[in-house]
Amino acid sequence: MKKALLKDSVKEIKNTYKKFISILLMAFLGVGFFAGLRASSPDMIDTIDKYYKEQHVYDIQILSTLGLTNQDVEEISKIENVEKVYGTYETDGKIEIENKEIVAKVLTIEEINTPKLLQGRMPENEQECLVEENFLKENNKQIGDTILIEIENTTNDEGEAIEYLKQKELKIVGTARSPLYISRDRGTSSLGAGKVNYYIYIPESNINATDIYTNIYVKVANADKYTTSTKEYEDYIETVKDNIENIKEQRETARKEQLVEKANEKLQEAENELNTQKQEAETQIQDAEKKLQDGRKEIEDGEAEIESNKKKADTEFANAEKEIENAKKEIEENEKRLQIKEQEANKRFEQLEAQKQGLQANLEQINSGIAELQAQYEILLKKIENGETLTEQEEQQKLYIEGQLQTLEQTQQKLVVGITEIENGINKGKQEIQNGKDQIQQGKAKLETQEKQLNKTKTSTYNQIEDAKNELENAKQEIIDGEQELEKNKQEYEQKIEDAEAKLLDAKEEVNDIEKPEWYILDRNANSGYVSFIQDTESIENISQVFPIVFFAVAALISLTSMTRMVEEQRMEIGTLKALGYNKLQIISKYIIYASLASIIGGIIGMCVGFATLPAIIWEMYSMMYQMTDKIALSFNWKYGGIGLILICICIIGATIYSAVKELKSMPATLMRPKAPKKGSRVLLEKIPFIWKHLNFSQKVTIRNIFRYKKRVLMTIVGIAGCTALILTGFGLKDSIKAILPNQYEKVFNYDLEISIKDEVEQQEKQDFINNLSANEKTEKLVETHMLSSVAVKDQNEEDVQIIVPKDDLQGLINLRDVKTKNEIQLSNNEICLTDKVAQLLGVESGDTIILRDTDSNEYEVKISNIVENYVYHYVYMSKEMYENLFQKPYETNVVLTKNVEFTEEQEDEFVTELMEQKEISAVSRVSSTMTILDDTLNSLDYVVVILIGAAGMLAFVVLYNLANVNISERERELATIKVLGFYDNEVYNYIGRESILLTIIGIAIGLIGGYFLNFYIIGTCEINMLRFSKIVHPISYLYAILITIAFTIIVNILTYFALKKIDMIESLKSVE
Amino acid sequence: MPYIEFKNVCKEYKMGEVKIKALENANFSIEKGELVVIVGPSGAGKTTALNILGGMDVATSGEVIVDGKKVTKLTNKELIKYRREDIGFVFQFYNLVQNLTAKENVELATQICKNALNPEEVIEKVGLKDRKNNFPSQLSGGEQQRIAIARAIAKNPKLLLCDEPTGALDYKTGKQILKLLQDMARKENMTVIIITHNTALAPMADKVIHFKNGTAEKIEINERATPIEQIEW
Repeated sequence: MKKALLKDSVKEIKNTYKKFISILLMAFLGVGFFAGLRASSPDMIDTIDKYYKEQHVYDIQILSTLGLTNQDVEEISKIENVEKVYGTYETDGKIEIENKEIVAKVLTIEEINTPKLLQGRMPENEQECLVEENFLKENNKQIGDTILIEIENTTNDEGEAIEYLKQKELKIVGTARSPLYISRDRGTSSLGAGKVNYYIYIPESNINATDIYTNIYVKVANADKYTTSTKEYEDYIETVKDNIENIKEQRETARKEQLVEKANEKLQEAENELNTQKQEAETQIQDAEKKLQDGRKEIEDGEAEIESNKKKADTEFANAEKEIENAKKEIEENEKRLQIKEQEANKRFEQLEAQKQGLQANLEQINSGIAELQAQYEILLKKIENGETLTEQEEQQKLYIEGQLQTLEQTQQKLVVGITEIENGINKGKQEIQNGKDQIQQGKAKLETQEKQLNKTKTSTYNQIEDAKNELENAKQEIIDGEQELEKNKQEYEQKIEDAEAKLLDAKEEVNDIEKPEWYILDRNANSGYVSFIQDTESIENISQVFPIVFFAVAALISLTSMTRMVEEQRMEIGTLKALGYNKLQIISKYIIYASLASIIGGIIGMCVGFATLPAIIWEMYSMMYQMTDKIALSFNWKYGGIGLILICICIIGATIYSAVKELKSMPATLMRPKAPKKGSRVLLEKIPFIWKHLNFSQKVTIRNIFRYKKRVLMTIVGIAGCTALILTGFGLKDSIKAILPNQYEKVFNYDLEISIKDEVEQQEKQDFINNLSANEKTEKLVETHMLSSVAVKDQNEEDVQIIVPKDDLQGLINLRDVKTKNEIQLSNNEICLTDKVAQLLGVESGDTIILRDTDSNEYEVKISNIVENYVYHYVYMSKEMYENLFQKPYETNVVLTKNVEFTEEQEDEFVTELMEQKEISAVSRVSSTMTILDDTLNSLDYVVVILIGAAGMLAFVVLYNLANVNISERERELATIKVLGFYDNEVYNYIGRESILLTIIGIAIGLIGGYFLNFYIIGTCEINMLRFSKIVHPISYLYAILITIAFTIIVNILTYFALKKIDMIESLKSVE
Repeated sequence: MPYIEFKNVCKEYKMGEVKIKALENANFSIEKGELVVIVGPSGAGKTTALNILGGMDVATSGEVIVDGKKVTKLTNKELIKYRREDIGFVFQFYNLVQNLTAKENVELATQICKNALNPEEVIEKVGLKDRKNNFPSQLSGGEQQRIAIARAIAKNPKLLLCDEPTGALDYKTGKQILKLLQDMARKENMTVIIITHNTALAPMADKVIHFKNGTAEKIEINERATPIEQIEW
């Protein structure tokens, strides 16, 4: 490249900076919109991916109808590519705050699906919990407050009720966000009003019932290498899922066996106990009987003994008495004998007494002789003593006396001995008699005592016998009592055993009834928040595939006109360069550089701005619906940036080369001459004089001009039509989507409540409940139905459907209308009605057959009688007769639909709460709340509308402004001429304004038509599988589209007006360009 | 009082820092019905003077009076009205609207004038009756210029201003155009001012104004103007 040329290029940019900027702006918009919009969806997915990775969100989730065990965890851990398996506990609890009952999903804080702490801190002990932000806001609670949570007891495998939590009173220590609930939907609950309001997080240590896991979460090894929701990710997870699927059956059976075994063990135990008890009871009875027997025998023996004892006693006592009698007789004889002896003795004693008295008298004589002598002797002695010498006589006397005395004394002694002997004899005799008497007395006394003793013994003996008899009598009574008791006990035992046996039998039956649990192996697509998020990203992806095309097309067209204009303006220069010997490439290179610089600079700025803003704006809009991270993970998406840049370069540079090459074909000499202005020519319309003649001059001019600048006119129309179409699409999209709710919940479903009845409720109770509900004054209409989930299959396509089998007439609570004829439809006895969207997804029509697969994988082939109108979810309707024939099962109501009297929200709350208290009900789903949730979701589409209108406006503005500029610059001479001719400013404006107005009208008209179809195209691409968007566009939307387009054109036209005013006549006419 | 009076007219252009004086105290006057030729070298201020006279440009100072109307005092809108009703312009490059036929180009002018002439008659007058439905691209240069003149005179202006009307034409055609202009002045008693750098044309005019360095340096009056047919150059 020659230096001069490069300089020239740069200078050119400087001189024509407006044009440069306008091309740059187109590149900016084109690439910015393309890259930004295209990157939005991947950025959103990156964001959720990053968030999910940070929070360690599961790859696979396993649920079971009978809970999951440690063995399950272990078995799953063994599967290839399973990194880690977590068993967790999730349940619903009730919290009462200010008389308001709140249902909360109680989750444990785990290594997997970790909540993201927003405020406060993580719980440190069992008494603490985390709540979600809204919980605090909406219930006027603060961190530090305490809540009381009530959770129903769980049953362990042994069938015992166990408290779920250790601590019910929990202190809020922080707020957190759960990666499992990114949307506002918290799911349904069998508690309260049937809806989960919030989730709360507790530490796992607070779980008391730790035997059975409610959920198993699986982290797949190396899954982090893939981005969530991508095909690679899904495929990879699918392989692991398949592997888990392989052990599913085995684990299900194992779990059943485990339960059966446990139940059997218990049963065995109970049986054993029963048996031992039985035995014990029997032995006890036997013992008791034996004892009674023994007792009886003892009594008999006792009686005999007593008899013999009595007899013995009788004889003994008789003998003894006889002896005593004999003894008495002997004593009497002895007494008699003694009396005789005494009498004899007494005679002798009298003799002896007489002897004695003779002796006594002698003795007394002696004693008086002695006393006399003694007195004489005494006188003598006294004389001696007085010293008087005794006369001989005296001496002699004395001697005599002495001699006398001596003799007397001897005689005295002899007498005394004789007396003594007599006395002794008497005494001795008396003594002997006394002794005899004493002896008799003693014998008598002894006998007496003996007799007494005997009598005493006798009494006591007889008493004893009497006592023994009494005792025996008592014992006899006791035995009779015992016998009676035994009889009673026996009966009791028998009853008890009978009962226990019956129970055992029941239990055995129950064991037999233990059903095999069903495993649900789910991936992230089972999480409703995640799914709706991914679907939203898909919608954006779809939109991002359509809209940038418009921008690119416009960018290409705009560059084409601008560059053509530029090349035309510089034909002299081109000619000169050509004449100077520059070759084509060198000459073109200037324009290529010019266009490249504009497109590359614009494109790069565009992609930077686009990457930085569009995803963020979209995120901002969606973040109102999703609770995730606050910031989107923005990335510089090289792929889309590159594609956008390349596309815009192709468009702009291509257009440039095209126009430059076209000019270069001419010879230098031709080029150096001014280009002959575009030739005027007659238009087709002039050949229809009927119309042409009726046009005034300016109209003719306008029409001629329109046909003269065909390319520009086309572009203007395209621009305006695009603008109108985009706006109409925006509004139309909103209309279509907004119509879903009234269509589904007023036109198709016309009930207020969907009440699910528990399976186990007895037929009679169920019927009573339904009758009561039907009789309730708040119930206007009631329809009994049977609903079941199923999968509709046609060839390779499968869709989840809900089968609804009404018991009898639907009473207008569900309106079955043919989607084409709009006629009311009656269910036939051998064909089903299928809803519209699923029919489309499966590619079937009325008359075709599809397969319905139930939850046990049984397949049934059914024929479709009609395709019916429906807007949300997929349904299959069949009659009761058909249901019974098809499934070979008796019909049973499980869902009741009711239409209620007009309710305020509070009244409905109250009514539903009342309903939920009834034990027959498992869930109540309210149309009003379903509508609110859906409405929230659909409201987010307002942003799509805003984006579309914004995009449309920008597009319209850029296109129109650019075209107006090109138009003015191309026709500058012409305009200057009419100015010189004396056209007023507004006349000058009208001169081209009329064109503009006409083109706007045409553009709008085309745009409305285009928008109508674009709307349906977008609806088709954005439509969520579950929903049927209505193909309606409200008239007001057309009006909006028209008005907004007009507003944009007016703005551009105002700018044009001033640009026209600024045209300098002299400069424009001075010389030939 | 002359029909047109140019009194001490100055015109300055600002080119960045530099001021260029296009006109410096230009003074001349023209009588009604006169055919005036303005001659002078390039950059002498001829066109500027004509533009100011035609209400396409405004003087920096001085006074321009046309038929008693002070052109220099007119507002923008009045200037347009002045151009619309009083002035007919003929340019070197005709400046016909390419998209309009010859007749339509004339109509473009007549439809905005109150006392416009009949377009057909005017076209007949310029001798192009047969080509009136042709587009400019189907006409030769001379024919185009004739249409341009027709467009200018159809408005029935007080002044017919021609800036190098023959500049792009060959000798013979140029002569025909000048003849037409001369005839206009003579027969229709129209005041015609022609700018040319060809001094040889001076004899055809009633008055010749020589421009040099932004002023009317010399004004010659031809008592007897030579018919154009007799002028050779």
